[in-house]
Amino acid sequence: MKYHLVVLGCQMNHADAERMQAIMAKLGYAETEREEDADVIGIIACSVRQKAIDKVYSKIAKWNKWKNKKNLLTFVSGCVLPDDREKFLKLFDLVFDMKELASFPAMLSQYGVTTPISNTALIHDEALQEAARPATVAEKLNFSSLKPAENKVKAAPQTWEVEPIYNSTFEAFIPIQNGCNKFCTFCAVPYTRGREVSRPSADILEEAGKLIERGYKSITLLGQNVNSYGLDKKGEELSFADLLDHLGAMADASGKEVWIYYTSPHPRDMTRDVIEAMARRRSLAKQVHLPVQSGDDKVLIRMNRKHSMERYREVVGWIRDLLPTATLFTDVIVGFTGETDEQFENTRAAVREFKYNMAYIAMYSPRPGAASFAWQDDVDHAVKKERYAVLTEDLEKEAVVHTRELEGKTVRMLVRGKDRKEGYLSGHTEGKIIVRFASEDDSLIGSFVDVQIESVRPFSAEGKLVNAAVTL
Amino acid sequence: MRKRSFNLHKIIEKRDLTPSTFVLRMERNGLEFVAGQHIQVGPPNGIHTREYSIYSAPGDKDLEILVREVETGLVTPALKKLKPEDGVVINDAVGYFTLPGDLAEEQPLLFVASGTGISPFHSFVKDRPALNYRLLHGVRYASEAYEREDYAEGRYVACTSQDAGGDFKGRVTDYLRQNPVNPDTLCYLCGNCDMIHEVFDILEEQGVKSDNIFTEVYF
Repeated sequence: MKYHLVVLGCQMNHADAERMQAIMAKLGYAETEREEDADVIGIIACSVRQKAIDKVYSKIAKWNKWKNKKNLLTFVSGCVLPDDREKFLKLFDLVFDMKELASFPAMLSQYGVTTPISNTALIHDEALQEAARPATVAEKLNFSSLKPAENKVKAAPQTWEVEPIYNSTFEAFIPIQNGCNKFCTFCAVPYTRGREVSRPSADILEEAGKLIERGYKSITLLGQNVNSYGLDKKGEELSFADLLDHLGAMADASGKEVWIYYTSPHPRDMTRDVIEAMARRRSLAKQVHLPVQSGDDKVLIRMNRKHSMERYREVVGWIRDLLPTATLFTDVIVGFTGETDEQFENTRAAVREFKYNMAYIAMYSPRPGAASFAWQDDVDHAVKKERYAVLTEDLEKEAVVHTRELEGKTVRMLVRGKDRKEGYLSGHTEGKIIVRFASEDDSLIGSFVDVQIESVRPFSAEGKLVNAAVTL
Repeated sequence: MRKRSFNLHKIIEKRDLTPSTFVLRMERNGLEFVAGQHIQVGPPNGIHTREYSIYSAPGDKDLEILVREVETGLVTPALKKLKPEDGVVINDAVGYFTLPGDLAEEQPLLFVASGTGISPFHSFVKDRPALNYRLLHGVRYASEAYEREDYAEGRYVACTSQDAGGDFKGRVTDYLRQNPVNPDTLCYLCGNCDMIHEVFDILEEQGVKSDNIFTEVYF
């Protein structure tokens, strides 16, 4: 029997999908790329943009028509707003929160589905697996002593309790936290994923340790606000800085080469000791994605961002002081409700001041479920487009200053796959600057190589392969 | 206080303050919070919730929120219909609009609220009565000076825009222009965004650093 999974939205949803895939595999289902061939079709939804939700409605309308001709079970999970959830209950066979993923086999069973391997207890057999498995890096280094006392207290179930099947053999995403307490007015996440819940640090260290042992080269810690990690445990869990420090120490001690990233931090919760840990540990990648959203204090207030530009400036100061080689990425929304020309100019000034290497710039569009959805979207679309173009140009001017510094130098990069340009491979540096080089040697994909940079663009570079160093 | 084990809280009392504004007093049920934080509240069996700053103090036995009915709203009309013994669904308290734990009692504080934005300040003051504060409350009519007797003599200023029955006839911004603050004041602003923007500008003009201005926008 086969299943097909549609994954929409962010890396968090993709990490959740890897856990969904693991459950389906344990139940004996084979994944198919063709939804027409599937017996079970699921969708991990995203509510960040209306377009993504429209896609869910479009897909289920099509799938429900197929039910006249074949046996088909459909399900939806992921980020779903309350209104949509009510409607989905009438359209899908199963609607569940990702936190309930571990119960998915039981749901299938209750629905009367006979799975290829009809053993709904499969995912509850960790105790047996635990006894048989070899010691992890974390255990060898005795990081188990970090385990918080309440680790084994089962609170609300979470997706991360399911062991994933990673889609890549060299880069992986580890969820460390779920939910959001920030209530930014442009975002619906607090209404879809609920309050911030931190994953036990011992579990994170164990998952990371296994990945490092298996030779993974890039590990990204995921959460809506990673640097509020542990705050919900009120002193009974590691802080984000401590978690990073332990991960960095473990990776450094492993003798393996690995870059550990995290996304996304919130400027309000960023602490100097996070940056200090990054400076101290070689394996903690020198790249920071610090969303600014706007360079104007009053727009930040309307966005309910809970930080001022002064606070943001302080954090960037720590990064520049302690991590002089780090690249800095950000997110910006242009044309947010009420944004004046003067306020937009402050965002332009921020891009110049902070010299970003990359910014993900979005033209504001009201998102259903977010507080700002009720406000008049009063910045004309043409103005938004103009601001988008102007800011992109500003960004390019700043970013190219950095990439020009790479010209002639040899940089370390992780090869991630074939480039769109025929005969080239591409990947990124530790600072996530995209680099490509001429090679048709696919065996390099997933390894670190050294490349001498010959030409640059604002956000990328091209070079020649110097050596494909063997990495542990 | 023990950690609460479920999120359904029974209503103990509904206290009408004006025809459209009321205080819901509910069982605490172990809910922990810091003065100034907010909770999501919704009627039982409903799918919608709304955020409310907590009106009561962390040391109070019960939990209170201040609600103004929005006739076209998804939540407040349903909350208005609830009676004692009915339940409401409440999520854990979160939020950052809180006072520093190490705040010196003599530290001058300015609280500026519009309408029900007075909620977190009510919680602050009930929690720490010795605070050195001035509370400016922007309302249309003096009848909307919700439970002003809860504030110490001379610290609460009702700024009424539509009648002369308050302590000051005019908006909070008018009051501030006529009564500048000391630049060392820690300023907390809560309520509608336009008021907060305007007050923010005035405070900066009066020499208050933006880092000493804290905001909570009501949507």
